[in-house]
Amino acid sequence: MSTRTRILLLVFGWLGLISGLHSYLNVNWAFILNDYLPLEKRKFTVAYIPVTCHLVCPVTDYISKFSKGDEIFLPKMFQGFPEIKEALISNRVQAAFVVAPLAIALKSQGVPIKVVYLGHRYGSAVVVQKDGPIRTFADMRGKVIAIPSRFSDERLILYRAMKAYGIRPNEIKMVEMAPPDVAGALATKAIDAFSMGEPFPSEAEMGGFGRILFHAREYWPDYMSCVLVVRQDMIDRRPEAVQTLVDGIARSGLWLEKGRSYRENAADFVGRFYYNQDPALLRWALTKPLDRVLYNRLAPRKADFDMVRDLMIETGVLKKGIEFDEYVDLRFADHASIKTAWNYEPGSRYAQ
Amino acid sequence: MNAPLQFDRWERYFWPLLAINITLALWYFSVRWSGTEIFPSPLDVERGMAELVHRGLLWRYTLNSLSRVAFGYVSAVLIGIPAGLVLGWYPAAADMVNPLIQVIRPVSPIAWIPVSIAWFGIGDTAATFLIFLASFFPIIVATMNGVRNVPSMYRCAGRNFGLSPANLIAKVVLPAALPQIVVGLRITLGIAWLVVVAAEMIAVDSGLGYLVIDSRNSGKRYDLVVAAMILIGLTGLGLDIAIRRIEKLKSVRWGFRNEH
Repeated sequence: MSTRTRILLLVFGWLGLISGLHSYLNVNWAFILNDYLPLEKRKFTVAYIPVTCHLVCPVTDYISKFSKGDEIFLPKMFQGFPEIKEALISNRVQAAFVVAPLAIALKSQGVPIKVVYLGHRYGSAVVVQKDGPIRTFADMRGKVIAIPSRFSDERLILYRAMKAYGIRPNEIKMVEMAPPDVAGALATKAIDAFSMGEPFPSEAEMGGFGRILFHAREYWPDYMSCVLVVRQDMIDRRPEAVQTLVDGIARSGLWLEKGRSYRENAADFVGRFYYNQDPALLRWALTKPLDRVLYNRLAPRKADFDMVRDLMIETGVLKKGIEFDEYVDLRFADHASIKTAWNYEPGSRYAQ
Repeated sequence: MNAPLQFDRWERYFWPLLAINITLALWYFSVRWSGTEIFPSPLDVERGMAELVHRGLLWRYTLNSLSRVAFGYVSAVLIGIPAGLVLGWYPAAADMVNPLIQVIRPVSPIAWIPVSIAWFGIGDTAATFLIFLASFFPIIVATMNGVRNVPSMYRCAGRNFGLSPANLIAKVVLPAALPQIVVGLRITLGIAWLVVVAAEMIAVDSGLGYLVIDSRNSGKRYDLVVAAMILIGLTGLGLDIAIRRIEKLKSVRWGFRNEH
């Protein structure tokens, strides 16, 4: 064998080996093959990030596999909102859980999406360093505080608190960070505080370096943050598939409200199979106390969204007003309202 | 032997401009024909640039990025060249730390982001530190190799003239190694500028890298993302032209023997 053939053999052998291993170990074939199915059989890809605000997404996926023997959509985990936004705009995902102001902003910028359902209520908190200088919100002046996105309800609750304390916008420095990074940043004192969805406030509490200054509901009684948006072409062409998705989400929400053992079960399988987080952390976030995050009353309400929109305009992240009907499609939520919780017992191999 | 391709004076500008215009036209028509909703056309980008000028951000951001690169790069030069000189001069010391350098060197500055936040918090220091890291290792390696490649005859001659070790390094070794060091400096400046985008992802609130991240975060503003990319490219070109001038200095020119 000449040197040349030997080098060629080595190169191609190596390429073959790593491609084979990669496709065996890493590639999710369900996603790839899905793109080649005929339109009516193709499944939605639903984007989410590992926060409890999006918990109904993996819960629905997990339980529906037992009930229908097959998933009703393909869940895809992201680490931050900018990536989800890009995937949504370019039609790589057809539905996504995003913060409500981002949904409103994207719609007003001409991205063809509609809000069809909420992901949760409550479940965001402002966290400060445990023994740090911030005792009350008044101490927040001149401090650095992390938010998930300029289009987030976590930012808007800060503005509501600032109003109550008479703090002007330029007195607090807000920085945008990917949610999974904030607990570490707080632990190393890189930031003074963060306003984020669960389980990151719980992570800071469990780790012993963070203290909850206030929960979102203290300044916003019916707080909602993440909503389910679906691309308009999906709503027009396959409304029945959107309905199945929303029904599933609604049923998962009711299932999570059935009691502590159901939440603990969800913490276990979501932490292990979806979020890659310690189940103990999710258990903390979901059960201390049980109403830390709520998954009922998820039909979009005009008053909530009008308030979000007005706050967005007031704080300079939305240029012109946009009406509720332009970015919300209520019919799926209306149908979902007659659904009941999943009939699924923790550990069972059967669901209905 | 092939004669080097010689351009007329007008051709030196004509061909590059032609290439740029063809690229712009291809870009424009592919955006139009593909009907993409995301990617901006050259005209959108131009409007985006105009908006940046109008808001007074263009100069401020460019200057901010340049100053971060300057701080990180200059501190890397100030520490890297002396350290490289010492390591090149004492092979035993080089043998000791070289494996360590070779392990840290290939780690991308992006991988340092979490550590850098933990050490320096968020803001200018962390960003400058990343640029420093990216510049430091290439400079120290270039200097070390430059010193090692100085012919031993030069050192012997210096010693025969009775120079003290400090004088020998300053008057003989450094000038002899300078051409190689300057090449290293030039390549490193390119790397430092490459890293600025990553460095400015760390929650600073100005700079061209920040402009990319900020435009990305503000919904559908890909015109500004591309505008920032173009500004980064143009500024990088400017930096390269500037540092090439150093190579033309007399104390460096002698090292490039086959140029005239």
